[in-house]
Amino acid sequence: MSKEFNPHSFAIYAKDHVPLPPKDAEVLTTACDYCTIACGYKVYRWPVGREGGARAAENAFKMDFPFTGVQRPWASPSQHNVVRYKGKPHHVLVIPDFEATVVNRGGDHSVRGGTLAQKCYNPENRTSERLLYPMIRVRGTLMPVSWELATEAMADISKYILEKYGEHAWGIKMYSYQYFENTYAITKLGMTSVGTPAIAPHDKPSNTNDATGLDDAGLDSFAASYEDWGMAEVCFFSGVDPYETKTTLFTEWIMGGANPNKTLIFVTPHKTMGVAYGEKNGGLWLPIIPGTDALLHNAIARIVIEKGWQDQQFIDQWIANSWEVDAGYGRGTRNTGWQWRTTWGNWQSDWPDYQKFILSRDEHKLENAARITGLRAEDILRCAELIAKPRADGSRPKTSFMLEKGNYWSNNYLNTTSLSALALMCGAGNRPGRVISRGGGHQRGMMGAGGGSGWLNPEKYPGRRKKSFNLDRWVIDGKLRFAWAFGTTWYPAMMASQEIADAVFRMTRGNPHQVANLDRAAIFETFKRRVDSGGMVLVDSDIYPVEPLGTQHADIVLPAATWGEEDFSRCNSERRLRLYAKFYDAPGEARPDWWAVQKFAQKMGFTGYDWKSSNDVFEEAARFGRNGVLNYHPLVVKAKEQGVKGHELLRSYGTTGIQTPIRVREGRLVGTPRLHDPANNWGEIEGPEVQRQWLYAFNTHSGKAILLKSPWNFPGWIQFYEAVKPRREKGEIWVTNGRINETWQSGFDDLRKPYLAQRWPYPFIIVHPKDAAPKGIESGDFVQVFNDTVYVQTGQPQGVLDADLNFNNLMKDGHIKTTTGQFVAVAIVSDEIREGVAMANFNYPAAPANSVCHAVPDPVTNNYRYKLGRGVLTKVGESPYKHSFTSMTLKPRPII
Amino acid sequence: MSEHEIKLQSHDHAEGERACMSRREFLLAGGAVVSVTALSGVPGLAQGAAQPQYALKANYARQKVGQLSRLVQGKPIQFNYPYAHVSNILVKLGAPAGGGVGADGDVVAFNLQCPHMGGPLHGSYKEQHQVLGPCPLHLTTFDLTRHGMVISGHATESLPQIVLEVEGDNIYAVGVLGLIYGYSRNVANPASA
Repeated sequence: MSKEFNPHSFAIYAKDHVPLPPKDAEVLTTACDYCTIACGYKVYRWPVGREGGARAAENAFKMDFPFTGVQRPWASPSQHNVVRYKGKPHHVLVIPDFEATVVNRGGDHSVRGGTLAQKCYNPENRTSERLLYPMIRVRGTLMPVSWELATEAMADISKYILEKYGEHAWGIKMYSYQYFENTYAITKLGMTSVGTPAIAPHDKPSNTNDATGLDDAGLDSFAASYEDWGMAEVCFFSGVDPYETKTTLFTEWIMGGANPNKTLIFVTPHKTMGVAYGEKNGGLWLPIIPGTDALLHNAIARIVIEKGWQDQQFIDQWIANSWEVDAGYGRGTRNTGWQWRTTWGNWQSDWPDYQKFILSRDEHKLENAARITGLRAEDILRCAELIAKPRADGSRPKTSFMLEKGNYWSNNYLNTTSLSALALMCGAGNRPGRVISRGGGHQRGMMGAGGGSGWLNPEKYPGRRKKSFNLDRWVIDGKLRFAWAFGTTWYPAMMASQEIADAVFRMTRGNPHQVANLDRAAIFETFKRRVDSGGMVLVDSDIYPVEPLGTQHADIVLPAATWGEEDFSRCNSERRLRLYAKFYDAPGEARPDWWAVQKFAQKMGFTGYDWKSSNDVFEEAARFGRNGVLNYHPLVVKAKEQGVKGHELLRSYGTTGIQTPIRVREGRLVGTPRLHDPANNWGEIEGPEVQRQWLYAFNTHSGKAILLKSPWNFPGWIQFYEAVKPRREKGEIWVTNGRINETWQSGFDDLRKPYLAQRWPYPFIIVHPKDAAPKGIESGDFVQVFNDTVYVQTGQPQGVLDADLNFNNLMKDGHIKTTTGQFVAVAIVSDEIREGVAMANFNYPAAPANSVCHAVPDPVTNNYRYKLGRGVLTKVGESPYKHSFTSMTLKPRPII
Repeated sequence: MSEHEIKLQSHDHAEGERACMSRREFLLAGGAVVSVTALSGVPGLAQGAAQPQYALKANYARQKVGQLSRLVQGKPIQFNYPYAHVSNILVKLGAPAGGGVGADGDVVAFNLQCPHMGGPLHGSYKEQHQVLGPCPLHLTTFDLTRHGMVISGHATESLPQIVLEVEGDNIYAVGVLGLIYGYSRNVANPASA
């Protein structure tokens, strides 16, 4: 250890006291702000100046303190904060709901939700970095201005741009999750009032599908209930360890639930704690080579077919035959995403044809698949047995299939089509304990206003079929004149991050026309010269300064009010709708995004923006979700009948909420636990409920699911894969990326939560000892990852011939440029990662791991292959955390 | 209940400087050498009901918990502190640790109840990694070389560390760093003491 270094440098103070809520403390309900599971939480609030006593009669927990025993109402120091409520200081305890009977039963919680109190604004800690007032950048420095001036400046230049350059030149980069009230307002502005196609969500360059193959097979990505995972006997997790990213789904429903003795199979190159738990309990870890999942699925399918282990009864009843596959081309009218992708018959299949496809291809043979996937043949065989082999009495294991980003963000279409087909063959998809579902990332807070303008997109599939709009490429090509970013880091979340950042810099701070004073007319003149010289005006709405989007590039920065500072609503990944109660004052002049949108829309002269409260937006938005799986319109109708606000009726459901789509029976609101389940067919509809076929059958024209073929040598995939593989001669390895429990997404809160910031002061990269040793890399060293060939697709090529959008043709036609990418992270050397693969912390602003990934989307779905980065690792030097006693433990994650 | 005023001799403080600073605070504040003198109750530390200055004063009993010469590396011994029903382990890690005592700075003590939801960590010490856990309830693991920091899992605080000091061969517990599960304060309220 370095003698000069003080191993205690990074200490924070460990508290040994938390005030107890007095028995008259107010109690409000909310749900966690972070992962898709959305545990129920209670907020205890009382004025500063007193505390509850240690005896049960003296505190709101009605418990004697201290107590012995486990899993009882208790607050850790991280669950306490002092906030302002109606201008006066109040204690708050934000603790998991120990009375919860759904989601996080009995008060289970994650380290993220367990530290929610620390996200509340408190000028005594790092939350003091919150944005407090609107700002305009004057010659490089952000200066405070009024909401009036900020929105007038935005409207002045927006009107000019829309008239001169058209709606294509005016874009939005937005979160798709941060509450119905905000997403509805933002999409109403972008899609309906402005009518631009240039809108992309936080996680994708274009407004397109996520797990596309599931959609095309007729499976809703969130068809399952958490109870289904509880009932399953075998779980196949593809590209995900739910313990790391969907905590209480794992700890409550997978470790517990109706059948706690599950067999767990994990397909992921990184062995995290959930994987270790699964292995210890008779499960399987398949440390796959990134990107090869489709071949694994097909190899397993081949074993299942050869052994006759398929669920024939289910197939006969629920899988579309050739006539049904063709009926309405599988999905009804020709004008669907499915049609744009599949007109040429590459994918859809029926059961006889699917078997032929699986059995006819050499690469599906066990030994061949084992070689390409890097897995042991016996493990693949055992996996097939576990998920599909009937027992001696003929009964089948109840197997459920979960996929997440390791799957669908390494090979978007083929990984999801192949998994759908395999899972359907095993009889999963619409029955208790036998489900196919995404695990989920963010919560489900998107309530689109509809009226999208995607048809204006210049990009087209061959045959001039509609394609989603790639906003990143539009920016890199210099076509956008105005961008409004809502609550996202944008560049580190996207691909070739440094390339987008450079492009945005060139068009904003790099442009000679910079605001020099705060006169409204002068601002307009400057912005006009900016956009007329090929530049762009950038607005960033967020709660914190976002590096570098907000801190270095944005012309206008708007402060947002967030979780706990406004009444909001949204669903979790089992479609459970809850009210997220306001319980303290937003700092400074921070306002919710729906309010900022309304203010701007009014300045633009748009009509329909006269909401008085978030409840008004909630009620208006309800009408636009009626046909979807998040339909809560019946709740709003019921509230009106009762003469209460929609938010107030929802509040009465507490942390239990109600699962959408909401239906009506005998005048009462009824939730929907599972989609596609024939038990949901109730015959006549009642009241305002909407019955769609996907409630009780699969989401296809025929109501039967469709088997989709996934040929490994599909040129839209294999050409790209061959190009992006690590080049051994250069010493490259795969550099994939992902999340871990303790930091959520970009760490926007976690970087400011004292305990979590101490745990992770800097992003990590996990490196196998055999990859680390030759480079002299040890745990705690700073490591640079460099990729000298990062591919970026440019232009908006319209496909004319089938092959036009495949990698080799794009390259030949000059639509792919090469750039470089790098980032620095702290090494954790551990054999928890597969040799030849390193795992980096995803979307960390200061260390954009996506810089070494390629911005060439899947030509079938227009989604990036986010997890397929590569690079050469070099030791930079020792980080100060290497010998620290007080910060950043470097121990392996799966110690069991 | 006795009050410990701690006499500091470290790089960070002038020789002989006296400060009302607990050893646990001192451990996190920096420095490597301390000598601790137990004093009887110091006046002026009574905690006011309205705005108690809870965090900064040591208020723990001093209790002998083991002997250096009898510790075997990697073999934890269990003891109760600061109360009869609060279980902890004393262990020689074989690797230097934050707050470690003994010649190698590797003797530490930690509470055995997971500060996530109270799960028992008894018998879960992993000698290879100097780690306690995983907790049987939700699989949290704790790094005993780094003040009980969460490695993976769901506790929202580090595992409470029992602050140790050494006199000759004897090891004494003198305080607790972090809130023990099930407590609202580690040291009893004066009102109920």
